[in-house]
Amino acid sequence: MGFADYDWGLIWDNHQILLDGLLTAAKVSVIALVISIAGGLLLAVMRQSKPPISWIAIAYINVFRGVPALVSVIWVYFGISLLLGVNFTVFQAGVIALSLLYSAFMAEIFRSALDAVPPGHREAGQALGMRSSRVFFSVILPQAIKIALPNLGSMYIGMVKDTSTFTVIGLLEVVRVTQNLVSQTFQPFVLYTAAAAIYVLAAFVIDIVFRLVEGAYARPPRGAVSQVLRSRQRRRIEQLMAEVGR
Amino acid sequence: MSTRQPSTAEESTADRTTADPVIRIRGLRKSFGSLEVLRGIDLDVTRGEHVVIFGPSGSGKSTVLRSINLLEQPSSGSLKVAGVEYGPGLPGEPSPQRGKVLQLRRTVGMVFQQFNLFPHLTALDNVALPLRSVHGMKKAEAQHKSAEALHRVGLLPRAAHYPTQLSGGQQQRVAIARALALDPQVMLFDEPTSALDPELVGEVLKTMRLVAETGMTMVVVTHELGFAKDIGDLNVFMEDGVVVESGSRGFFENCVSPRAREFIKAVR
Repeated sequence: MGFADYDWGLIWDNHQILLDGLLTAAKVSVIALVISIAGGLLLAVMRQSKPPISWIAIAYINVFRGVPALVSVIWVYFGISLLLGVNFTVFQAGVIALSLLYSAFMAEIFRSALDAVPPGHREAGQALGMRSSRVFFSVILPQAIKIALPNLGSMYIGMVKDTSTFTVIGLLEVVRVTQNLVSQTFQPFVLYTAAAAIYVLAAFVIDIVFRLVEGAYARPPRGAVSQVLRSRQRRRIEQLMAEVGR
Repeated sequence: MSTRQPSTAEESTADRTTADPVIRIRGLRKSFGSLEVLRGIDLDVTRGEHVVIFGPSGSGKSTVLRSINLLEQPSSGSLKVAGVEYGPGLPGEPSPQRGKVLQLRRTVGMVFQQFNLFPHLTALDNVALPLRSVHGMKKAEAQHKSAEALHRVGLLPRAAHYPTQLSGGQQQRVAIARALALDPQVMLFDEPTSALDPELVGEVLKTMRLVAETGMTMVVVTHELGFAKDIGDLNVFMEDGVVVESGSRGFFENCVSPRAREFIKAVR
C-alpha cells in the first residue's frame, strides 16, 4: 500500500475536531504557563532566600522536576481529588498537573536568569536609595525576564506536547480526539500523522510568538510592532528634549 | 584625619577640625573571612570638601567608599553621616542607636566604576526611576527633572538612547546625572574612569569638575592623579587597609612617606 493510497482527505474532513483538540491543549497549557511562571518566580526567589525557605524550594524543585506528566495528571485526577474530596474536571486536573511540574522547571530558568543579572545593577539600585522590593521589580526582574524568554518559549512547547499525556484522563486534547477518530475510521497512520503535524505547527507558531516578544524586550526594541509601541515614548522624550533644551 | 605619619598640611588640618564634618569615620574595620581589608580608618569629610583616596590595588580604598553607604557592612567602627550614626560601633563600647540604611543612601550618591546603568531603560528613565521610587515623583515630573539633569551633563540629546547605544563616557555621565538628580549631600566616586577607553576619560573628569565647582561634597577613589591634584582638598594615600599619609593641596609634591612618594612617581 503506497503513501498516496491512504485516505488523506480524512484530515480535512475532521479538521474542526482536530483543531478543537488543539484549542483545548492551548487553553490548558496557556493557563498552566501563567501559573507556572508565577510559581516558578516565587520558587526561584525562595531558593535564593535563607534556609529553611530555600530548603522548601529546593525540595519542591527536585521532586516535581522528576515526575513525568503522565504520572502527575493521574496522581492529581485520581489521587489528590480523593484525598481532598474534590472532584476536579479533567480540564482542571490537566492545568494543576502541568502547573505543578512546570513551576519546578520555570524556577530553575528564573534562578539562572536572576543570577545572570549583573550584581552591580542591584547595588546601583540600593545605592540610589531604592527599596529592595522596588530594585527587584523595576531593575532585576525586567532584565531576568528578557534573559529567561528563550528558555520560557522552549518550556512552553514542552508544555503543549505534555498535554498529549492527558488523554489518559479523557481530556479532549489532540491525541484523545485523534484516538476517537481512529476508532471510527481505522486510519491510524493518516490521523496520527495529522496529530504530529499539528504539534509541529504549534511549536513553530509558539517559536514565532516568543521571538516577537523577545524583540519587544530587546534594547533598543526590535521588530515593527515594538517600533510602533515605542514611537509614542520617543515622541514624549523628544518633546521633553525640546522643552528643557530651550 | 588621623594617619600613621604626620599630615603634611598641619595648618589646613587645624581648619578642618573646627568645621562640622558631613562624614566622620572612626576606627573603621572590615574583614572578609580571615582577611582584614580595613584595619582602623579615621576620616573626616567637611561640607563642600573634595577628598581623593588613592593607593595600590587591594589597599582597601574602594571598601572605605562602599562602607560609607553601607554597600559593605563594616565589622566595627563608627560611621556618622550628616550627624547620624550608621556604624556598628567601636569595640568595647555599647552598640550605638543606628540610622536607617535607606536614609543614609538617600543622603549619599554613588558613581561606580562599571557605570551600572539599567540596560532596559533609556538614559532618561535611568535618571527618572530613582526619582519616582525615592522621591515619589509622578512620571511626568520625574522625567522633566531627569531631562534637566541630563542637560547639565550635556547628554539631553541622548535622552532616548539605551545604555548599549552610548559610549562608556556617556554612560558614566548619565550615571553621574542619575545620582545628582536625587540631590545628595555627598557624592562618592569609585574609580569612575578606570573602565573607560583613555580617550573617554576626559569627558567624565570634565563632568566631575563641574560637579566639584557646584560645591558638592565629594569623596573620589581614583588613579587619575592629575585630576586629584586639581580638585583634592584632602588627599589620602592608603595601603594594606590603613591610611599611610594624608594632606591637603600640595600633597603630591610634599608628601613625606617613601611609599606614597614611590606610588605617585610610579603612577605618573
